[in-house]
Amino acid sequence: MPSASLVFQSVVLGVLLGGLYALLAAGLTLYFGVMRVVMIAHSAFLILAAYLAWYAHRETGIDPLLTLVVTVPLFFAAGVAMQRLLLTRLRPATLTMMSVLLTFSVALTIEGLLGYAFSGTQRRIRLGYSSAGFEFLGARIAAVKLIAFGMAALALLGLYVLMKHSRFGQALRATIQHREAAQLLGIDTDRIAGYGFGLGLATAAVGGTALALDTTIYPSLHWHWIGPLMAIIVVGGLGSVPGAAIAAMTLGMLQSLLQLELSTTWAQTVFYVALFATLAFRPQGFFGGRLAQRF
Amino acid sequence: MRTGTLLHVGALVAAVAVALSFPSMAPSPYEITVGIAILNFAVLSTSWNFVGGFTGYISLGHGAFAGLGAYGTGLLVTKAELPPFAALFVAAALVAALAVPVGYAALRVRGASFVIVSIALVLILLLVFQSWASFTGGSRGLVVPRPFPGMLRSEHHRTFYFLFAALLAVALLTWWIIDRSRFGMGLKAIREDEDKAQSLGTPTFAYKLIVFVVSAAFTSLAGGLYALWFGDLDPVFQFSILSGAYMVLMALLGGVRHLYGPLLGAVIVGYALEYSKVEYGDTPLHLVVAGLLLGVVVMFMPDGVIPAATALLGRFRKSGETSIREVTAAELKQRHGQRDGNDGTDGSDGSDGSDGSEVRNSERSGSGG
Repeated sequence: MPSASLVFQSVVLGVLLGGLYALLAAGLTLYFGVMRVVMIAHSAFLILAAYLAWYAHRETGIDPLLTLVVTVPLFFAAGVAMQRLLLTRLRPATLTMMSVLLTFSVALTIEGLLGYAFSGTQRRIRLGYSSAGFEFLGARIAAVKLIAFGMAALALLGLYVLMKHSRFGQALRATIQHREAAQLLGIDTDRIAGYGFGLGLATAAVGGTALALDTTIYPSLHWHWIGPLMAIIVVGGLGSVPGAAIAAMTLGMLQSLLQLELSTTWAQTVFYVALFATLAFRPQGFFGGRLAQRF
Repeated sequence: MRTGTLLHVGALVAAVAVALSFPSMAPSPYEITVGIAILNFAVLSTSWNFVGGFTGYISLGHGAFAGLGAYGTGLLVTKAELPPFAALFVAAALVAALAVPVGYAALRVRGASFVIVSIALVLILLLVFQSWASFTGGSRGLVVPRPFPGMLRSEHHRTFYFLFAALLAVALLTWWIIDRSRFGMGLKAIREDEDKAQSLGTPTFAYKLIVFVVSAAFTSLAGGLYALWFGDLDPVFQFSILSGAYMVLMALLGGVRHLYGPLLGAVIVGYALEYSKVEYGDTPLHLVVAGLLLGVVVMFMPDGVIPAATALLGRFRKSGETSIREVTAAELKQRHGQRDGNDGTDGSDGSDGSDGSEVRNSERSGSGG
């Protein structure tokens, strides 16, 4: 039986990890809400952002956090372009299936290009504060993990404020809830959907930069992220942001606690166990509403 | 129709003759291995097409069943010391049994969630087979002894060429029989409009589950045969998300609604893969090529080469309406939409239930085909 302080340490790490999961799952939820699209390439863009942060740091020595100034607008634009130029051109009747394949092909392309440009070597950013950390009630917390969590929390908060307290957010939520009704109210739903998609991809930019701070990255890493993220949005109920956040926190914490007893790879299976259990017993997820019922 | 049938049979006999005489005409054993690789792809994507083509449920994780079949066969031979071909069928039976609970969980949900589960299946098995090294050999790999120990290498390849060809023939025949049966009709009804099929009394869930299990069993046989032929297994290649993606790519490229669609796709993609391996070696660019090719097929040719070619041919013939049954819900929706001056691209599935009424015409047929 691990000691109490070790358990507490795991809980803290689980919360820090869960924050990042929650941000990324929020992005996936946005795509799903706007287009009913499951975006397999989300985690590929996440790794792409991490590589961009690593590359900028290696070439110029700037702090990886500064790359956000470039990557966030870039990813937003890429998201809008992807929605406008690719996804809207698929046939509506088979959109859900075909969009999965299309985003899957984007993920493969990104992985292949990353492997070609930077080789399959594992990369890691070395920062002045990489090893810095502090004690908190007996648990040791690395500064970079806390920074990553802070970024995720800030981005999520920003997303929340934008969705709830701006005209754009209202239009976006209306588009998600009922597209025709939103059109009748004079909302340009096609444009709003594009922006919603861009917003989702921007979360991958933030998440990727946060990931680059304290993780070793390699091109095929995105498969290790997409599985857990998919599990999170299904457990949380497709289309529900709070559901995804709660599921992200719970599963992140469980994974962290299981690592005390099991190896890292076995601990990761908790996501898949949760996924299969959810589908077998409660296919609409635990927090999903009417939207999730249909999938 | 009479000359059409004759033409069909003639082409089939010619194709079989070419396929069977290929090993004796091949200049070196290498060409035979390419042929085996293509046949293996053809069996895999035809097996995938039992689910993908009939029901429209797209599984990206069928590589998992191939990997399980391969490892199941290998482990039964090495650990339980079963004869190789008994192991092959026992492994397929075990995989089919495993496919029941997997299908039960995966097929309860539609569309997106199904794909998620199929991907998760590959990822979870990769984790398990890598971590459980004491049993599976982990990343060191698993060596499967050859089924015919005394045989020369070229003779070994030739034998397996015919074994793969036989398996392909059985898979194609099964697909053809299902395609013409009442069962197949029910499956296609699921593909076009699942709610409607259910309300008309089709036992949709049971149908989906049965065809899922059949598909898993065939995929497992292909994987097991590969294990016996190749003799060396590695979790990274057996449980790769890429192998599942190749199956989808081949089937879509050829045309999922056609018996020979996946076979044609396998010939094209399999040959292209071998060619690029010889010319360019193993660089990450093959991922880019596979990704771009899949993207192009999904965007511009979602029905595949065969329908595109038939449509081209149809222009030269007198344009006759095809059987109503073969018109997809999507096409009907589009026609219907054009009549209303609305191009049907609203993209929202949230408009509850209204999209069911447009496929009424498709049910009255029953002749056709």
